[in-house]
Amino acid sequence: MKKIQLILLFSFFINLVIANEVNVYTSRHYDSDDALYEEFTDETGIEVNIISGKGSALLQRLKAEGKNSPADIFFTVDAGNLWKVQKEGLFQSIQSKKVLTEVPENLRGPNDEWTAIAKRARVIFYNPENVSDELVENFNYEDLADQKWNKRIVIRSSNNMYNQSLVASLIENIGEEATEKWAKKLVGNFARKPQGNDRSQIIAVANGEADLAVANSYYIGIMLSGSAGQEQLEAAKKVKMIFPNQENRGAHINISGAGILKNAPNKDNANSFIEFLISKRVQKYMIDKSYEYSVLNDVPPSIEIAGFGTNFKEDQTSVRSFGELNPDAVKLMDRSGWK
Amino acid sequence: MQRFLNLKLNIISSWRLLPLAVLIIFTAPLVIVLSSLLGSYSDNWLHLYEFVLLDYVNSSLILVIGVAILVLIIGTVTAWTITNYNFIGKNIFEWALILPLSIPPYILAYTFTGLFDPYGDANNLIRYLFDLSNDYVFFPNVRSMYGAIIVFSFTLYPYVYLVSRSALINQSKSMKEASRLLGLNQVQVFYKLALPMIRPAVIAGVMLVIMETLSDFGAVDHFAIETFTTGIFRTWYGLYDLQTAMQLASLLLIIIGVFYLIEKNTRGGSIYTSNNSNFSPNLEEDLQGFKALVAFLICFIPIFIGFIIPIVELSFWAYEVNLGFFNDKFVSNAINTLSLSLGTGIICAGLALLINFSIRFKPNKLVEKLSSLLSLGYAVPGLILAVGMVQLMVYLDTFLFSGLDIVLTGSIFGLMIAYVIKTYALANSSIESGYQRISNSMDESSRLLGISGWRMLINIHSPLMKTALLTSVLLVMSDVVKELPATLILRPFNFETLAVSTYTYASEERMLQAAAPAIAIVIIGLIPIIFLSKMIRSSRPN
Repeated sequence: MKKIQLILLFSFFINLVIANEVNVYTSRHYDSDDALYEEFTDETGIEVNIISGKGSALLQRLKAEGKNSPADIFFTVDAGNLWKVQKEGLFQSIQSKKVLTEVPENLRGPNDEWTAIAKRARVIFYNPENVSDELVENFNYEDLADQKWNKRIVIRSSNNMYNQSLVASLIENIGEEATEKWAKKLVGNFARKPQGNDRSQIIAVANGEADLAVANSYYIGIMLSGSAGQEQLEAAKKVKMIFPNQENRGAHINISGAGILKNAPNKDNANSFIEFLISKRVQKYMIDKSYEYSVLNDVPPSIEIAGFGTNFKEDQTSVRSFGELNPDAVKLMDRSGWK
Repeated sequence: MQRFLNLKLNIISSWRLLPLAVLIIFTAPLVIVLSSLLGSYSDNWLHLYEFVLLDYVNSSLILVIGVAILVLIIGTVTAWTITNYNFIGKNIFEWALILPLSIPPYILAYTFTGLFDPYGDANNLIRYLFDLSNDYVFFPNVRSMYGAIIVFSFTLYPYVYLVSRSALINQSKSMKEASRLLGLNQVQVFYKLALPMIRPAVIAGVMLVIMETLSDFGAVDHFAIETFTTGIFRTWYGLYDLQTAMQLASLLLIIIGVFYLIEKNTRGGSIYTSNNSNFSPNLEEDLQGFKALVAFLICFIPIFIGFIIPIVELSFWAYEVNLGFFNDKFVSNAINTLSLSLGTGIICAGLALLINFSIRFKPNKLVEKLSSLLSLGYAVPGLILAVGMVQLMVYLDTFLFSGLDIVLTGSIFGLMIAYVIKTYALANSSIESGYQRISNSMDESSRLLGISGWRMLINIHSPLMKTALLTSVLLVMSDVVKELPATLILRPFNFETLAVSTYTYASEERMLQAAAPAIAIVIIGLIPIIFLSKMIRSSRPN
């Protein structure tokens, strides 16, 4: 018994001394990312430990663990969650020169407490067989409320965070009252009760069930790659994608982002990890698999989505407002009857 | 000093301290969730009340009533058919009827939409076969309340089937013969005699189904139905208001608690057992022709919808992509899943045995109440439970390690406690009914022989309860294999179970990739279920 205790104690100290690791709490859990983490370990000898889950739940665990939390990095696909972590005062400023010089300022949080790792646009899909190109020329999100799309629009449920962010950005840009009017009209234009994921909306438009679908840009890339099956590939070939609001504030952008936690036990490793993620080679690899857009200006998108345009205008509305206005957006959608 | 020692011994031997202490630890996370009711109430309540709360309550009610009625019918009718008749395939149906228990409701929901959506595989096939245009949609929309009721009913009815079957097996032939002589026909015997006699067991089974239905998030979210539970999560994730979300969860817990108490009280006075000495086993009637076909269909349809359809659809998906999963991650994830579920099953069964024994040995209102509270854990959405759990682990870490380190938080230990809370109801229900079959005279005789306390539990009750104990371990296992939300947030670094792998893909909306791990869940979930079905067959008297 004594012996076992000694061995346990010994191995505990060994662990303490030689543990070369970085601990990541993440709500982004793409298969392709696992391969990246392995590569990081091969390159640096730093072990990457992962817990993946819902952003809000991970934040709760982080808060409860307090200063003893083993987490070094919080990595999420929802900007609102980055804002929440920052509001709780759980991040520290990122010091890395590489991050500060290479990631554009508007893609970093206040005080550089987090940085975007990749970005995606929330865009409109249509089937040119059913909708002429002129009808959607210079299309704005605001136009979704137009009477001419009566019962012709599909979009997923208001439970979805991307819809919540989109509505929050509208509140920021055109005000709450105008947004509520817009939402009510949009609900009237729904072709069906909101259901399914972003891809089901694209499929509905491809099959002529509706004229316009609102969905994230990378889904069309996944569908076109064929990795989601033949049917989705066929559907994706039928549709076109448009970036809204190109004549004014730009298309709505959401980000995947990461920050280093205040009590990070492995701060240096955390820094190297983030630098690794924003390095040119890794960015290219990552977005080629995920069909997102790079945070670096000189990394082109994957072939699958490059055809829809590489140089579109982005809405600069800050991530802070997505976070701050998210509850308002949800209530507004409740009031509008957006299920 | 002597007196003090006596007193101390008295307390320890009183069978109060141990169950009480254990129960307090296990109910703590639930109490933490409930304590949100004492906190402040935000303005969001006004908003919820004005715009959405009524919808949440309405759809939850319709869902639960629909599911309860359907599982009641499927569960009892199949059990009755299997117990009383002989027909082609009966020997297979007897155990195959439990198979749908290995399919998590959310997986059935995914496969249903994959098949029956307007451009799903089933509709495409029909259009292809009959050369119809793209507008033609054959199947009704499954993303609806009806779809949800079907999904829950056909994955959860085995709980009712299991209890009905074991209750019917113990019914005596003589009673049935008497009622036939008195002029009742087959159907009348079923609903006038057999059904009322097994009512307590059936209601307990339906109660389990209701609790699982209410706590589910995955399936209803996929079908876009706003239930109370989706409301809880919308409040947390969307309104950023965990406090109100926990208050909503507490409310749900209290409502279910009231039902649970009503159910317990009505059951209290109505235990029907036939006297074993006169017992004559049921004779099975041989069915031929049309009647045999009807019996066959009664048993086949639930298995077809709840098991064969999802397995076939998942196999197609898995075959199309991601078969590699079975080489890379399958073994380690399966070992994690199995050991976690086995560990939880054993703890749960042991706990339920200890508590039921202590209540029987020295009735104690507080222990009884805490045990009921723990049973309600089954109805709490996993992630809400996890929040209470993280809180408790951090308290314990602060208490044990004076806040210097965190050891329990994010450990397998915490994860297991969460699972125990979540599944205690399953273990408790079968241990409770097991105890009802041990007569009090047995306890009295063993006491006369000087056997009491631990020795009675170990030497007399445990052997008698072997079947009940195994059943509870297996029921818990089959549920833990499927569990997801608590795992996600409470697990240690790099710890993956099969459900986590499924979620990883499903949350990215990559159902084809999710199919392989989903099949793995079913395969691992089949292990306890195969044991379960073997036990049913051997539980038949004589």
